[in-house]
Amino acid sequence: MQITLKYSLVSLAASLALVLAGPQQSMAQRFNHGGSGGGGRPAAPAYHPAPVSRPAPAVRAAPSRPVETRPAESRPVEERPTINGGGQNIGNHDLSRPVDVHNTINVRNNVTVRNNVNVYHTGTYRGIHPYYYHPYRPYYWGPHWHPLGFFLSALAADAIWFNFSNQRYWYDDGCFYLPQNGGYAVVAAPIGALVASLPPGYETPVVDGVTYYFFAGVFYTDTGQGYQVIAAPPGAVIYQLPDGAVDQQIAGQDFLVYNNTWYEPISQDGQDAYEVVPPPGQ
Amino acid sequence: MKIKLLVILVSGLITAGHLQAQTRRIDTVAVAILDKMSTIIGQLSSCSVNIRSNYDISSKELGLIKHTDEQQLFLHGPSQLLLKSEGDEGSRDFYFDGKTLSYYSMDKNQYGQIEAPANVIEMIDTVNKLYGIEFPGADFFYPTFVDDILSESKTLVYLGLTKVDGKDCYHIAGTTNDKTFQFWISDDAFTLPMKMVIIYTNKEMHPQYEATLSDWQVNPSLPDALFTFTIPLKARKVKLMPLTAKK
Repeated sequence: MQITLKYSLVSLAASLALVLAGPQQSMAQRFNHGGSGGGGRPAAPAYHPAPVSRPAPAVRAAPSRPVETRPAESRPVEERPTINGGGQNIGNHDLSRPVDVHNTINVRNNVTVRNNVNVYHTGTYRGIHPYYYHPYRPYYWGPHWHPLGFFLSALAADAIWFNFSNQRYWYDDGCFYLPQNGGYAVVAAPIGALVASLPPGYETPVVDGVTYYFFAGVFYTDTGQGYQVIAAPPGAVIYQLPDGAVDQQIAGQDFLVYNNTWYEPISQDGQDAYEVVPPPGQ
Repeated sequence: MKIKLLVILVSGLITAGHLQAQTRRIDTVAVAILDKMSTIIGQLSSCSVNIRSNYDISSKELGLIKHTDEQQLFLHGPSQLLLKSEGDEGSRDFYFDGKTLSYYSMDKNQYGQIEAPANVIEMIDTVNKLYGIEFPGADFFYPTFVDDILSESKTLVYLGLTKVDGKDCYHIAGTTNDKTFQFWISDDAFTLPMKMVIIYTNKEMHPQYEATLSDWQVNPSLPDALFTFTIPLKARKVKLMPLTAKK
């Protein structure tokens, strides 16, 4: 009787121990994969068919997986190089690791904490208008207009000259010239220079209610006493770019750079156009 | 007294567990599915897949604008990649032969080239970091994919079976501090990714990225010439702008 009672007590204690130990082990598996070194991997989910004749892992496998217990020689080892060297740390994740210890949350557009892979585009247009690619077709403003760097041995008789920043410039039909090698070379318009008139064919972009003037890659403002060369105002939309613009790409989008001004291809009222956008870094 | 102490101890453990559950919820079923997917991908010697990407770009004028690209991705071994893309940004091909990443736009007939690390994954890392060139669904091909997801996720849950393009898929959802994401993984022998959605909750208007992957080819025979770029006649060379100048 005493023996029976002792046996019953031992059985009861063992049962209680099993009941208490079960959930605790489950929790350990749920939150501490990494600490178990792969030994605590839960059984395959019931909804999921067990792997059938899966080729042997070329790189590694968790120690607890059934395939690991098979003799090595019974599995053909895959010799072909894989596309990424094999998944790492499979079944051996540290689920107990607090998420907020990773302060390197990616500012780019990917799922993971790696700060190097853009999953894809979710950025912002650099300009006000949506980016719309269209091919760049250089525009020529008539026979008297010349692109930057163009050399002339002589200027037209009606070309005017002016001094600006200790240099003598010539101006004719929207082009600015500096003396060079006995002739004249087309140069970028000096910001601040004032000209009396603009040739026909100029555009009048409006930004924030202010009307600007654009001719052959140069922006002007009307001072009342003439047209003063200004830096390109961001947001200005123009329809023609001169010869000499260079295609630059940022994150897959094409921009055109002319005389250090960045232009984003856009569509305005069904027409191909360009918007002045801030250069990279601004 | 002993009973009281035990009750307090047990209550404390339950509360601690409850708090931990509130701060982070990781579903081991979801982890197991992602593990299997990552294992299968890690054992492929080559593959090809079609990817349809829809993504938002925020416009100051019009709000979120939806764009679409359709890509064909070919991978062979650790050092060859071909990505052919057609979409709102025009035609763009990327060839990687283990040394050089070549970009070519057929509609513009222009190309650019960058020296890159010999490994596809390192190449993707490098050119994305330096040049902002993006590869759709690149996350899935990372050998550390599951660890990377876990390192950032506050929540990762298996939601059940659903269909993508008529195929049964495991639906997994998760959250991080700055985004929510969902994966659809095929419920078949290969357990390959079929769809992904990311919603950027930290950005204005919450732009989304969605990629649907279809027509997976596992270990196809892909000739080396597929990954070799030959400069087309009269193609114009363009400079790929590094991102370092941007910030």
